[in-house]
Amino acid sequence: MTLSRIRNFSIVAHIDHGKSTLADRLLALTGTMDAKKAVDQVLDSMDLERERGITIKAHTVRLLYQGRDGHEYTLNLIDTPGHVDFSYEVSRALAACEGAVLIIDAAQGIEAQTLANFYLASDANLTIVPVINKIDLPAADVEGTREAITATLDLDGSEALAISAKHGTGVPEVLEAIVTRIPAPAGDPDAPLKALVFDSFYDSYQGVVVYVRLTDGHVRSGTRILLMSNGRAYDVQQVGVFSPDMRPVEELSAGQVGYIIAGIKRVADAKVGETITEAARPTAAPFPGYRDAKPMVFAGLYPIEDTDYEALRDALEKLRLNDPAFTYEPETSLALGYGFRCGFLGLLHMEIVQERLEREFDLSLIITAPSVRYRIQTTAGEVLDIENPSKLPTPDRIAEMEEPYVTSSVFVPTEFMTVIYKLAQEKRGEHKALEYHGKRVHIRFDFPLAEIVVDFYDKLKSISKGYASFDYEFADFRASDLVKLDILLNGEPVDALSIIVHRDKAYEKGKALVEKLRAVIPRQLFEVAIQAAIGSRVIARETVKAMGKNVTAKCYGGDITRKRKLLERQKEGKRRMKQVGRVEVPQEAFLLVLKS
Amino acid sequence: MLADNPPASDSLGFYIHVPFCAQRCHYCSFNTAPLDATAMTRYLAAVGCELDLLGALAWAPRVRVETVFFGGGTPSLLDPAALAAILARLRRRFAVAPGAEITVEGNPESVTREKLHAYRAAGVNRLSLGVQSLDDAILRRLGRLHDGRGARRAFEAARDAGIANVSVDLMYGLPGLDPEGWSRTVDAVLDWQPDHLSAYGLTLDAGSLWGAAGVAGLPPEETVVAQYWRLARAAAERGFEHYEISNYARPGFRSRHNQIYWRAAEYLAAGPGACGFVGRVRYANVRATPRYAVTLEEGRLPLDTFEELTPRQRLAERLILGLRTADGVPAAWLGARLLCSGGPEPGSSRGWPAGGAAWLRDAEPLRRTIDAWRGERLLADAGDRVRLTEAGFLVSDALFVELL
Ligand SMILES: Nc1nc2c(ncn2[C@@H]2O[C@H](COP(=O)(O)OP(=O)(O)O)[C@@H](O)[C@H]2O)c(=O)[nH]1
Ligand SMILES: [Mg+2]
Repeated sequence: MTLSRIRNFSIVAHIDHGKSTLADRLLALTGTMDAKKAVDQVLDSMDLERERGITIKAHTVRLLYQGRDGHEYTLNLIDTPGHVDFSYEVSRALAACEGAVLIIDAAQGIEAQTLANFYLASDANLTIVPVINKIDLPAADVEGTREAITATLDLDGSEALAISAKHGTGVPEVLEAIVTRIPAPAGDPDAPLKALVFDSFYDSYQGVVVYVRLTDGHVRSGTRILLMSNGRAYDVQQVGVFSPDMRPVEELSAGQVGYIIAGIKRVADAKVGETITEAARPTAAPFPGYRDAKPMVFAGLYPIEDTDYEALRDALEKLRLNDPAFTYEPETSLALGYGFRCGFLGLLHMEIVQERLEREFDLSLIITAPSVRYRIQTTAGEVLDIENPSKLPTPDRIAEMEEPYVTSSVFVPTEFMTVIYKLAQEKRGEHKALEYHGKRVHIRFDFPLAEIVVDFYDKLKSISKGYASFDYEFADFRASDLVKLDILLNGEPVDALSIIVHRDKAYEKGKALVEKLRAVIPRQLFEVAIQAAIGSRVIARETVKAMGKNVTAKCYGGDITRKRKLLERQKEGKRRMKQVGRVEVPQEAFLLVLKS
Repeated sequence: MLADNPPASDSLGFYIHVPFCAQRCHYCSFNTAPLDATAMTRYLAAVGCELDLLGALAWAPRVRVETVFFGGGTPSLLDPAALAAILARLRRRFAVAPGAEITVEGNPESVTREKLHAYRAAGVNRLSLGVQSLDDAILRRLGRLHDGRGARRAFEAARDAGIANVSVDLMYGLPGLDPEGWSRTVDAVLDWQPDHLSAYGLTLDAGSLWGAAGVAGLPPEETVVAQYWRLARAAAERGFEHYEISNYARPGFRSRHNQIYWRAAEYLAAGPGACGFVGRVRYANVRATPRYAVTLEEGRLPLDTFEELTPRQRLAERLILGLRTADGVPAAWLGARLLCSGGPEPGSSRGWPAGGAAWLRDAEPLRRTIDAWRGERLLADAGDRVRLTEAGFLVSDALFVELL
């Protein structure tokens, strides 16, 4: 196949602007699936992805398109994850393309992820095809959106295609633009093999299936390949393409996108960003920009029943096979027993892992409040990374504490500026820049990561009536005045409830926390005192009174069934409890810590 | 269905539901029907047919009825002749033991000495009188038709009529009931020297007016708890035993019929919405009185729902019913509940019942819970039995949920 008939592209957009809908249209139009089989939004293949409407993993699919010039083109659509937690994966997927279709909702206009994606695509030197979607909506403002594209993005708004992905209007022009505007891949099929890994997954029969984009050379079954970051070599067993299911082909060559199966045992051995070459004739230099995806958020995972510990460990191991960005190591908690400290890219990533553990492995878990990684200089001159608040050295051993900061972009209509600044201030944000784009502003803040991991995005959305959008990136560690806040139940500190907070917020946080805990800890046979303390100083206290009465007075006329059913319903509704000392604490108590 | 389900025991209780009420009380969620003469006539004919159909079951001849309980509704609305006819029909179809306990529930406004005398002549030997309170303002609020003096008169009428076993029903935790008001009612009723006392804390059940519409003036929990203890102490001083969560008896006067329920033993039932338990099956009749009557007019038993209990459900029921009583349950049953968690049930041919896996998981937590209850003196060991203490009764549902 000649390179001039191949296009590698991706579709990027702010969430809900219509990426999945357009992808489905393209698949249907090119007959990649017959219309009947076109289940809605075929690319979001994990259940979780469909339910949440967010693409979590990159997907890829090969479309065969009959161009208006009469030639048949192979279009490789590489779908990228749609959440800030996964921006490294997005950048790698984009690096496998020559062009990107950038969708902008005609009614919403440009938003934070539109910008973030635009920058990522420009950084990767991609040709960008702007597409204005949802022109069928009454609120669609096509001309305004064109102007915004010209003003805000470095693109010619008049060249943007106006479409309705939902109704199919203008979609054929998108296919044609992909062919005419996006350059064909360049590359030398005779040079040594050079392929970029932009995703991979583990299959229990075939081992790791690696998604690759070849820039040079070719690969076929029998090729001995070398992974450049770790020096491991493998013999290729199969190569193929996605159309949309996996289909083996003879050979993949420069410019093409497909998969390689080579007996690789763990996803961690062929990570996103890896460069694959030939063992016998290695390419000169790997792709730039490879890095280990680093977890940013950490939480303890504990089985509710101690007997599930082994099952949890096995499940974590299995999950990690497919998800090297997630880390875990054993830890123990006085309150919760044996468990694991796990690292995640962000909160969404954490929720996904938790949900998969509960759904796919049928485990009941306690997940402790997520924490970021703090950097501690001890008085003895060591540097410690602390991801678990209960492991923080005592204050007398700490010379300085640092916390991670992010740089962030908020994009919002001007009328919400005041509330946004107020929220930013509450979250210890530092204002960095402000730019006006017509009726909207682009504000840049630096935030402590700890302040935004949890409910920042939800708050932002709600105070801006859904109009604000947000994107962030890790910046650096900065010194902060932080303290450890402990929670005590009946005088016993519960290590799993400890958090690290800024000193100025400790009192307020402690008070809010004990109030919340009082509301979720059910009444027990005895009174439960809940205290928040910094060191030995108690700063807030609440009590859960002992259960006074809980009795069915009458089983009338021998209607025992009714009574039993009532109790059965109660039992079902009863939240799973973890026994901490003598106190029964419901699962959600441990997560409340972050919501207060 | 009943035909293929012979009772395990030959001695049974018999519950007969009389749905009619002159007026529905505001807290009541039971199956009641407005009193009207035509409906009553139809009902009486239907109950007669039902007793015939039950009596015609193949296993009926070997059954001995040890207790009969007319519950309601308001059974004391039955004309003595009608009541006598039902009992006669029952005796024709079943062997009613010579010393059987035969109870009628009655409301003060619908009993007179003459009526009770006639009831007694028909075989009734126990009256359960729905007094609820002696405070007239509270009685009005409950939607009752009697006042405190009427209650007293009704009690005396029962004694005059020669009923040797009289029980009084009271309610506490009522809207507007303060500690003093409750003390007055308790002391006055104890002065009457009833043989048995039932005292129910108010619950707002779904299906009652208050459950649906809510009610103002409910006392705080501490007050309700204090009212429970006030009665428990006063009853003990007068020589009553607190033999079930809500029931007190002078020695020898426990309700034999209700003890059948608490022992998870078997009983038959007749009347609309009545519930029975034979063999492994709990069943309930059609609730609506007209449909109940129609079904029997067509010559069929008016069964509505039935459920065959799994061995595990039976064990759970035995525990949660038995622990309602001062006798408690054999410690071995509790042990079985914990052990059951360990493997398939002996003698269960159907393998793992639905609850099996859940029981397996909760053995450890349940053991801890039980120890905690012992530690708090809510649960006590008595020889080879385990029972709840009076303090344990008050929070018993918290344990029962775990035992399911
Ligand atoms: N009216 C209208 N709705 C659209 C159009 N395209 C997508 N949508 C709707 O917008 C929502 C988000 O679309 P989706 O493709 O899931 O967005 P994604 O998050 O970018 O993948 C869905 O409810 C779509 O049905 C369009 O052209 N017109
Ligand atoms: Mg989508």
